[in-house]
Amino acid sequence: MSLTLVLLLFSDDPSNNLLFFGRFHSLVVHLPIGFLLLAGLAEFSTKWKKFEPVQAFVHYIWLLGVISAFFAVLFGYFLSLSGDYSEDIIFWHKWGGIGILILSSVYYFISKRQISIPFKGNSILLTAIVLMIFYTGHLGGNLTHGSTYLFEYAPNPIRQLAGLPNKSMPRKNFTKIDSVDIYSDLISPIIDRRCVSCHNSEKKKGDLNLTSFSSLMKGGESGQIIIPGDINTSDLFRRITLPMDHKDFMPTEGKQPLTADQVQLIGWWIKENAPSSAYLKELDPDKEITDIVNRQLGLDDYNFLRQKVQPPKKETIASLSKSGFILNALMKENYFLEANYSLSEKELTIQSVETLLKLKKQLIWLNLTDSNLSDDKLKKIGELERLMKLNLSKTNISDKGLAHLGNLKKLKSLNLYKTKVSEELLNVIPKLPNLKRLYLSETNATEDIVSQLNKKKQNLEIIFNSN
Amino acid sequence: MSTYHNFNKKPISRREMLEVCKGGFGSLAFMSLFGILPTACGKPVKSTPEIASLNLGPHHLPKAKNIIFLYMDGGVSQVDSFDPKPRLAKENGQDPRKKFKVDATQFNNVGKILKSPWEFKQYGESGIPVSELFPHIATCVDDIALIRSMTSQFPEHTNANYFLHTGSGLQGRPSMGSWMTYGLGSENKDIPGYVVLDGGLIPPGGLDNFKNGFLPASYQASILRPGEQPIANISPKETIKDLQKQKLGLISQLDQQQLEKIGEVDAVESAISNYELAYKMQSSIPELTEFKQETKATKKLYGFESDNPHTRGYAAQCLLARRLVERGVRFIELTCPKVSADRWDQHGNLKEGHEHNAIAVDQPIAGLLKDLKSRGLLEETLVVWTGEFGRTPFAQGTNGRDHNPSACSMWMAGAGVKGGTIYGRTDDYGYRVIENEVTVHDLHATMMHLMGIDHKQLTFRFGGRDMRLTDVHGNVIHGILS
Repeated sequence: MSLTLVLLLFSDDPSNNLLFFGRFHSLVVHLPIGFLLLAGLAEFSTKWKKFEPVQAFVHYIWLLGVISAFFAVLFGYFLSLSGDYSEDIIFWHKWGGIGILILSSVYYFISKRQISIPFKGNSILLTAIVLMIFYTGHLGGNLTHGSTYLFEYAPNPIRQLAGLPNKSMPRKNFTKIDSVDIYSDLISPIIDRRCVSCHNSEKKKGDLNLTSFSSLMKGGESGQIIIPGDINTSDLFRRITLPMDHKDFMPTEGKQPLTADQVQLIGWWIKENAPSSAYLKELDPDKEITDIVNRQLGLDDYNFLRQKVQPPKKETIASLSKSGFILNALMKENYFLEANYSLSEKELTIQSVETLLKLKKQLIWLNLTDSNLSDDKLKKIGELERLMKLNLSKTNISDKGLAHLGNLKKLKSLNLYKTKVSEELLNVIPKLPNLKRLYLSETNATEDIVSQLNKKKQNLEIIFNSN
Repeated sequence: MSTYHNFNKKPISRREMLEVCKGGFGSLAFMSLFGILPTACGKPVKSTPEIASLNLGPHHLPKAKNIIFLYMDGGVSQVDSFDPKPRLAKENGQDPRKKFKVDATQFNNVGKILKSPWEFKQYGESGIPVSELFPHIATCVDDIALIRSMTSQFPEHTNANYFLHTGSGLQGRPSMGSWMTYGLGSENKDIPGYVVLDGGLIPPGGLDNFKNGFLPASYQASILRPGEQPIANISPKETIKDLQKQKLGLISQLDQQQLEKIGEVDAVESAISNYELAYKMQSSIPELTEFKQETKATKKLYGFESDNPHTRGYAAQCLLARRLVERGVRFIELTCPKVSADRWDQHGNLKEGHEHNAIAVDQPIAGLLKDLKSRGLLEETLVVWTGEFGRTPFAQGTNGRDHNPSACSMWMAGAGVKGGTIYGRTDDYGYRVIENEVTVHDLHATMMHLMGIDHKQLTFRFGGRDMRLTDVHGNVIHGILS
């Protein structure tokens, strides 16, 4: 057995075989941690009468701890030969491990021979071993996960105690996608989350440090990883788009891969010459990219529809159903609703419109087509600020009622087909920033009004047949 | 043992007991907490009348509330309609087997490469080319997402029809309309949620294209025929109104008693709801098919003034489809009119046959799209136009085209669809798909996605597993979504 081991270690390519065992370090290292802490606890427990008999067996646990610590140190040394870790960062971890091995061997003899060192020497030694295990273990964790890992989500006071800066808050002030910065708001956060735990200034896997823009562009041991403008030769892009079982795939070692959105965003950034800073507006992204950005940053509807709303009250639902509304749930994980009056043959009363206001938070679609809706009732409808779709077609409403709708800032679609609206459109429609579609066929609107509206709102599609 | 025992109450099994307890306690707690019905897409929870009006809901915010499925029975030739191939003209009359590998076809009467008898022109801002067959639909291309890369698994009508309608080439699965109404319910309690407007041709495979399969019987399609009486026996035979009411009352009472004895049996439950619905349809259907309120301009738009009786017939069907959408019907399929030249299945006489079929549907479909759009209905209605497969770019005999499941053109318009798009590509002959293949499963997944349904989540347990419309396939076609 030991012969095979020796043969393996010193065959053609010793360094590879050493590394093979070295990779087992992170598995084996947990054994001495467990054994030695158990030994310490057992030693401690013998102070109670009930546990005194344990004394006779403690040295066996120490022995197990010492043996496993030996292998942990050995494999750890092999791993350090890989060169993935700079000498100064593993210095204390290495000597901490060796120290634990020596001290615990000493304690094994003390425990076995029942030696008692004067001035509470036993207890001091024991405490020293336990503290060293904690500290060395922590250093090891930093090596694996990066030194920011442990306190990444810690509250700021704790971070300050640990000598870390306050958590960086994502820029909150962009309510509009245009003011998003491509690198600092989009690309850098992705790299920070997914890559930096292995590629930082301390643990430079592949001699690559991704903590800053300049080091990112500098590349690693195989040269530049980002060739601005060309995704096909950019090694970073190649590695994140390989099949997951490919040996070059990144992030490696079973870490969570980038999402399709993130990959696409990085690809687009490289294609746009990988600028260190640029507003999205300047880069003129297509719809696909803006959708991804909206999803990544939680902007627009995407964000709004994810904010949890309260479930509607049972009485409200019952009362509206009774008065002729059909209420439809619009999604599974939230309580946004549609209220549909188009199939009702009843008279729409002012009371039921007032009841609708109780669904102010939930109601995003409202269909009142072909009802006896009148201008005065529209005043209440105008308070339903969350409406995204409003259908008032085939009703008797006119400019007077339309004037009440200027507060519906979320409105995307407004259907005024076969109503009497006209001039007031020029006042109200420009107040609706999100309006995408406006239906004006068979209204009192004229070609002139429509062309003026078209000029005022470029992104608005107006459906209007003059005949 | 008589068949009567089928309706005997079965003792409750351990599984059912657990199921009842789980669902019962769970939903009770939920309802009392929130006072509404959870959006249990695909799990029709028995609800109290008070909250029944809050329908079963979709998984995510839907784009479409309704679907109009324009079925082009027989298989429209893609290279003669929406997928122009100049190479066919260049190599017209040459032997296709010298150019590319020719698969076995239904009749294996492979002729020469056949150029399209129709010219193509570009239309709209998007410049999508459309052939002379569809001059009216061509004016709507900016609202259409054209897919040139549809494929089927079956080269023969019956199986291809089952595949397109139910997601399986074999008879007996629930059709897509049944799945949609099962998942989303219907807003209108007086008209069925899934309606087939029979234009005159029932597709090969018959009514099983429109059946509920293993879903509860009330989710099968109701078929409306053109003409005075769209549904047989819709006007009551009883001379006194109360007499009918009393009769129905008695039947309902007897059924209810039986149901109490035997527990939940789909056949009896569906029979009861059928009687109720049929009674309501006595007034709702005549009102639906009464076109008096429609203006002359609207009727003209659809083609009511055409010289061709088939155009007029299909125009009425399209107008009816719009009226069904206005009444909240979830899924409406239109089958083709019976023109003199058979369905779109031109194994011979391509020019004459396709022209007959095209004239019948072209103007009514364009009218439907325009009318839906100006009323704002296109925003929540998905219109799907497709056959069951495409046709060969080479002739069958001298002047026909055989079935081709390897490439087919189709389009979608309306809710959530990016108008003016072309998706997918075929080779230089229009024979095979070479880019972005769209399978029937992908089409179904996309239709469901637009209706707010995750096709992987809407399941029904049958034969020991959770069945889906898309089985274990299907990817949403994101390239055509707006």
